[in-house]
Amino acid sequence: MKKVITGNHAVSYGAQLARTQVISAYPITPQTQVVELLSEFCASGKLKAKFIKVESEHSAMTACIAASLTGVRTFTATSAHGLALMHEMLHWAAGARTPVVMANINRAMGPGWSVWTDQNDSLSQRDTGWIQLYCESNQEVLDTTIQAFKIAEKLLLPVMVILDAFVLSHTSEQVDLPEQSVVDQFLPRFELKTKLDLSHPSAYGGLTNPDHYFEIRYKIQKAHEQALAVIKSVNDEFNELFGRKYGVIEAYRCDDAKVILVTSGTITSTARVVIDTMREQGRKVGLLKQKLFRPTPTEQLREVLFKAQKIAVIDRNISFGHSGVFAQEIKSSLYGLAGAPPVFDYIIGLGGRDVTPDAIYEIIDNTFKTDVPNEPIIWRGVRL
Amino acid sequence: MKWLDKYKVIHPKLEKETDYPHWAISLTSTLLNRTGTWRIFRPLYQDQIPPCNNECPTNEKIQGYCDLVKQAKFAEAYKLILEDNPFPAITGRVCYHPCENSCNRKDYDDAIAIHCVERFIGDWGLKNVALAKPKVKNKKTVAIVGSGPAGMAAAYYLGLEGYQVTIFEKQTKLGGMLRYGIPAYRLPKAVLDTELKKLIKLGMKSKTKCAVGKDITIDYLRKNYDYVIICHGAHKNRPLGVPNDKAKGVISGLEFLSQINSGKKPKIGKKVAVIGGGNTAIDAARSCLRLGLKPMILYRRTRLEMPAVPDEVDACEAEGIRIEFLVAPVKVLATKKGKVTGIELMRMKLGKPDASGRRRPVPVARSNFKIKLNAIITAIGEQVDLSILTPDIQKTEWGVKVDRLGKTNITNVYAIGDCVTGPKTVVEALGAGKRTAFQIIGATEKIISKTDKPVKFTDLNLDYFEHQDKTKIPEISVAARKKNFKEVHTGYNKEMVLKESERCFSCGVCNKCDNCFVLCPDLSVIKDNGEYEFDYDYCKGCGVCAHECPRNAITMIEESKVEEQ
Repeated sequence: MKKVITGNHAVSYGAQLARTQVISAYPITPQTQVVELLSEFCASGKLKAKFIKVESEHSAMTACIAASLTGVRTFTATSAHGLALMHEMLHWAAGARTPVVMANINRAMGPGWSVWTDQNDSLSQRDTGWIQLYCESNQEVLDTTIQAFKIAEKLLLPVMVILDAFVLSHTSEQVDLPEQSVVDQFLPRFELKTKLDLSHPSAYGGLTNPDHYFEIRYKIQKAHEQALAVIKSVNDEFNELFGRKYGVIEAYRCDDAKVILVTSGTITSTARVVIDTMREQGRKVGLLKQKLFRPTPTEQLREVLFKAQKIAVIDRNISFGHSGVFAQEIKSSLYGLAGAPPVFDYIIGLGGRDVTPDAIYEIIDNTFKTDVPNEPIIWRGVRL
Repeated sequence: MKWLDKYKVIHPKLEKETDYPHWAISLTSTLLNRTGTWRIFRPLYQDQIPPCNNECPTNEKIQGYCDLVKQAKFAEAYKLILEDNPFPAITGRVCYHPCENSCNRKDYDDAIAIHCVERFIGDWGLKNVALAKPKVKNKKTVAIVGSGPAGMAAAYYLGLEGYQVTIFEKQTKLGGMLRYGIPAYRLPKAVLDTELKKLIKLGMKSKTKCAVGKDITIDYLRKNYDYVIICHGAHKNRPLGVPNDKAKGVISGLEFLSQINSGKKPKIGKKVAVIGGGNTAIDAARSCLRLGLKPMILYRRTRLEMPAVPDEVDACEAEGIRIEFLVAPVKVLATKKGKVTGIELMRMKLGKPDASGRRRPVPVARSNFKIKLNAIITAIGEQVDLSILTPDIQKTEWGVKVDRLGKTNITNVYAIGDCVTGPKTVVEALGAGKRTAFQIIGATEKIISKTDKPVKFTDLNLDYFEHQDKTKIPEISVAARKKNFKEVHTGYNKEMVLKESERCFSCGVCNKCDNCFVLCPDLSVIKDNGEYEFDYDYCKGCGVCAHECPRNAITMIEESKVEEQ
């Protein structure tokens, strides 16, 4: 059934179709509508889930972890400062190997207080052990939410589905809502092998001395390494049933491209238009959309990017004291390859400042014109 | 370490990464780790005294029966009340309910209407529960002088143990002040008569129209009975003590009420002043209204100092009876033939507190004024008639001298009720009667003293209670009360009583709410057959149970002091 809905409601429908059993969340702009609709689903009985009200995001995540450990499908959503407040528990969720799924609406961190989009909130949680998937459209948001549960449950890793504040969260688009029966076929009830069991009391997450800690951490990394294959197979299965696929990255018109632009989130859809225009002008430019941020799809990135002469990365974020986070990741992926193309790091659109087709055109054009980047960060749109 | 065998497990060898669980989970059962050894404080289920029980002069287990009423266990509730008070249908109507004044709920929204719950159960029991018979046979004889509430309670508890009780009553019918003092609109005679059947069933004999001190002497009773209980009350009228106070048309409040309660219509003039601020004054004024007279009340202090029950004063005013405060009689005005024509009064103001703690009325100079009247009812307090006592019985300034349990200086002679204390309440008389009976029976363990540590409002965890107003007490309209003695309060029905008892906090007494069981982070509250128990093998003594107990029924004590407990 096709429906015109916002990105936030696409998340809610995704969690509802996935038959989430426990939801615990705390409202924060621009995420509020996600749990608002879910709480309505719970109240009306459309979704048979326990909605746990809490006083903070820290508690929301704690409740999700505990619920998940009992073997139920668990969901939450947050944004920016809410996500930051969860930080300790994000480590916990991954460390306890709970398949919690969370939507994070990308919102700039304060101060100055901002509700508009940028990626610093989620990228700051890079090392917590969560899988991170960035979305471009409301349809992708819905599809990714459903897939996230399957990925999480197969790997016993928490998954974060990420969408841009307002550009997706509050913008309505046509979304194809899949049939419940097909979603059920794709996502059957899962069984947690080791779950909290009153009849066999054990200590969970207790003191782990240097003799044992290391091996358990090793297992988390191994799970992340398996994730690439798992995400691919989940994606393929989804494609078979629903006819839509996204991949961990998407290469658009990259085959003979001399310059490849790397984007994530909604900037990708703007960039697609620019790429088409420049291709019409005969310029050999391609687009790489990085959907999966963690684990890093190193092989997939290399395969596409290595063929280009130059790479332009758009970062709507900044790791202070270094550079844009995506650019660092791309550089790191290409490191050690003889003849790897230079990486231009464009930082643009922080705190929700608009990223226009013209700006993207100029970025690509500038990359064509410049042999190698003269500085680690190329600022765009900042009043200097 | 035999208990360890139960949990014996072979530790898997952790040689390589694949031997490990997927996250930090203990490889053996945590039952092995008796975390109770970490405990410094220990929780104990220890019921406390609810303030209502503590304040009740008969020590009724109020929280206990409210809890039973919540579960609609009316028969059990009735039996529980009867352990302490044989006549709940009476006290449910006339008691001034000190329990409600102490109810912790009054600091939250409104005290529980305990008397209404008690009345419902009292009436229900009279209809549905068979009257008790003596439990054992006993040849000991007891003479009770006076059939008021003190004597009735003593007769009941002695009768249960098979004592041969004879009650001596001056009036034609039993009940004392309950029959002759309290008007029928507060206590219908039929209710009193039904309650009195309990005593008849227990084999009590009665000699009515027999005035002790006149028709028969205390000496005679002492010689012919094993025990004598004196409880003839305080019925002696206190005169106004102003000129003309014996004029025709001046009548004592008790005499006036007694006539009405004997079925007579007192012949007094239409415009009546009732002098006094106690319950007798209110009863007399409200009775006047029902006889079609025009009463007003004259009281020398203010409303705050009135000894009458506030609810009764409210009802009195609701019925349109004017109360003139801060006035004292100077002189009764009368014709030459000595017939009342009015009263001269003087304005008063409040001075320093007197011995009773109430502010003393002080005359205002040159404030005299007169009002026209046809009759004056005096209700300024009653006195004990001590003339019936034998000289060897010690007396106080106002009554018979006794110890805490009603013993006089003469062996096997007891005195209880108003004749000891001066005019007090029905419930205090009942309590005294019960305690003396227990004393005679030898059941001294049942005699409960008041604690100075009842559960306080601040001891409760109010997070667990929702606000709920008191269930409205049904009564007939003011218009419907005119010219008749119909009972004013009509009592709760089943639905109301269930709703009202539900409001009870159950202060200090576990009512199996499951909070401790649900919230114990160590799963160390074990529920067995509906009873809770702490599993001290694993309880770490965190105190969550005690803190989250809504009613303070769990106490934390130091481990080092467990032995002392």
